[in-house]
Amino acid sequence: MRDLGAEPPPSEQQSTGRLFSDVGAWRAILLAGLAVTLAFVVTALPIMVSGRNPLLAYWALLRGAVGSVDAVAFAFNKSTPYVLSAVGVAICFRARVINIGSEGQLAVGGVAASWIALHLSQLPSLLLIPVSLVAGGVAGAVWACIAAVMRIKRGVHEVLGTLMLNFVGTLVVSEVLHGTMGEPGAGFPQSPLFPQSAWLPSLFPGTDMHVGIAIAVAAVVATHRLFWHTPFGFRLRLLGSGDNVAAYAGASLVRGMLQVMLIAGGLAGIAGAIEVLGVHYRLIEGFSQGFGFNAVAIALLAALNPLAVLPAGLFFGFLEAGALAMQREIGVPSSLVFVIQGLTMIFVLCAMGVGFKQQRI
Amino acid sequence: MDATVLIELLSATVRIATPLLFVALGGLLSERAGTFAVGVEGMMLTGAFGGAITAFASRSLPAGLLASALSGAAIAAIIALATARFRADHMVTGLAANILAIGLTSFLLRGLFGGKTPVIVLPTLRPLAVPFLSGLPIVGQVLFDQPALTYAAFLLTIPIHFFLMKTRAGLTLRAVGENPAAAFSVGADPIRVRVAAIVACGALAGLGGAVLSLQELGTFTDGMTHGRGFIALAAIIVGRWMPFRVMFGCLLFGAASALALNIQGWGLPVSSYVIQMTPYLIALAVLCGIGRRARMPAAIGKSFTRS
Repeated sequence: MRDLGAEPPPSEQQSTGRLFSDVGAWRAILLAGLAVTLAFVVTALPIMVSGRNPLLAYWALLRGAVGSVDAVAFAFNKSTPYVLSAVGVAICFRARVINIGSEGQLAVGGVAASWIALHLSQLPSLLLIPVSLVAGGVAGAVWACIAAVMRIKRGVHEVLGTLMLNFVGTLVVSEVLHGTMGEPGAGFPQSPLFPQSAWLPSLFPGTDMHVGIAIAVAAVVATHRLFWHTPFGFRLRLLGSGDNVAAYAGASLVRGMLQVMLIAGGLAGIAGAIEVLGVHYRLIEGFSQGFGFNAVAIALLAALNPLAVLPAGLFFGFLEAGALAMQREIGVPSSLVFVIQGLTMIFVLCAMGVGFKQQRI
Repeated sequence: MDATVLIELLSATVRIATPLLFVALGGLLSERAGTFAVGVEGMMLTGAFGGAITAFASRSLPAGLLASALSGAAIAAIIALATARFRADHMVTGLAANILAIGLTSFLLRGLFGGKTPVIVLPTLRPLAVPFLSGLPIVGQVLFDQPALTYAAFLLTIPIHFFLMKTRAGLTLRAVGENPAAAFSVGADPIRVRVAAIVACGALAGLGGAVLSLQELGTFTDGMTHGRGFIALAAIIVGRWMPFRVMFGCLLFGAASALALNIQGWGLPVSSYVIQMTPYLIALAVLCGIGRRARMPAAIGKSFTRS
């Protein structure tokens, strides 16, 4: 790529396609399984270095993830924002837009939803919740749009743009909590509790599992339909193919980038709204920590397939829920999850790199 | 503005630019050889961690410095293997390495000390006044009364410039970043050159982390690099991939941060969170200002296969 802003001529695009090349469903599943297994095997090393038995740690992790109804409900809640933001990241990557800004988009989405929940609290629940969710989505989309416009107008690579905006977005949460939206007298930077009418209802009465997961599933199915069964999705796939096919077919790179960023930002913003409305019932400092990286890891594990994001996202949700329980029970730090995630990503990326059909330069 | 404020601002500029410069010089090597250096954040964090726990356990600062370079290089070796050997995507692999670094450092910090977060307190590197020169007005205090790693970072720019621009090996490295096939045809091994460049980048970025843990703060905390690696990447773009210009890019971001920190002291009604946002906002503004004029190494981000 000679110039970050302009689309490089096709002759220079040959080997940049390895992230985006399509693999068959069975190969994708095999690849994902292999990557995860390898990641667990390698992660045993640092566990042993810290003087623990990896098998015991993994057993505690498994028990923590699926050991009780409450644990499962907790894990589903954990997975919800991951699935939503990862499905957006997946279609961005498909269109060759490396959006790693879910964290910032999620953060501002949470702020917008919280503002609505606190300021329009006289609205009935049936209106308040959708309005809050939409506000979150719009805020996330606007946030993503900033990075897209910087790329399109000024050639600032979206990786740097979205990364920097992650830090800014997270600080926006701190800023509003120490400013107008903070709870006076609370020891922790948080907003006042939302009125009950803004709380997401639970999916199954008697559990903590909120309706967010249903929204996530709907988003996955809708994105899948959009991507594979509409002219819009076809244009995105053309952009992702990396050949001059897209240009011949009249698909605009600029428009495509703007569209996928808006969709991904919107989904991440809704994820942020769900997190505050369904889990914390208030805005909390740092609630978006690590979500953006999760989203990228999940999208990769799903081989950038919107439908496969659901199982991949659930896997990481259960993994994290299990890790938190493991930390509580046997004192193995839950940051182990990041080790597993990072390694899984690297293995998937290597497999994609090697699997891509070799081309001459 | 009186002289003391000015001196304070300028020495804060140099201080803040120091870790950025180590990381940017490393990233420069990696990117000049054709690999995006998104992983520098992780290399820096690992370096800060390796340096801190080694210095803490051995009570030796030199051992800590060595360990920080080695731990940065270790993470870099993983990236090098994945990108150069297995042709994995540079951007996303770098990101994955960053996640891995966050996880490993946080896990080992607790795991090595029996599940609890240890309180690591280290003696920080003290400023060393250069005899005679430090007596100069303003310049003396700003440039010649700094801790050892600061001198090292700025002096290092010279040999790196010399290496890249004046030696045969530097020419080969740049050739691999511009046109690996051509470099290959005259006998260079692009994969080996890239691996070496990335590992060197890791060692330098690791030292950048050591600046934070051993010189500035004297401790290690989770994710303590706070995106400084990414700011260093912006400094590379500002410096158009040239060592001395990159140094000025780092000083520019250092000055911006120093100014933002000082504004707080002047009692202006700006919240500390807005101040914390400024480095990222300034980096974005500068990148937008440069626009499309930045010309990156031609083959950056592209894999090389021998076939």
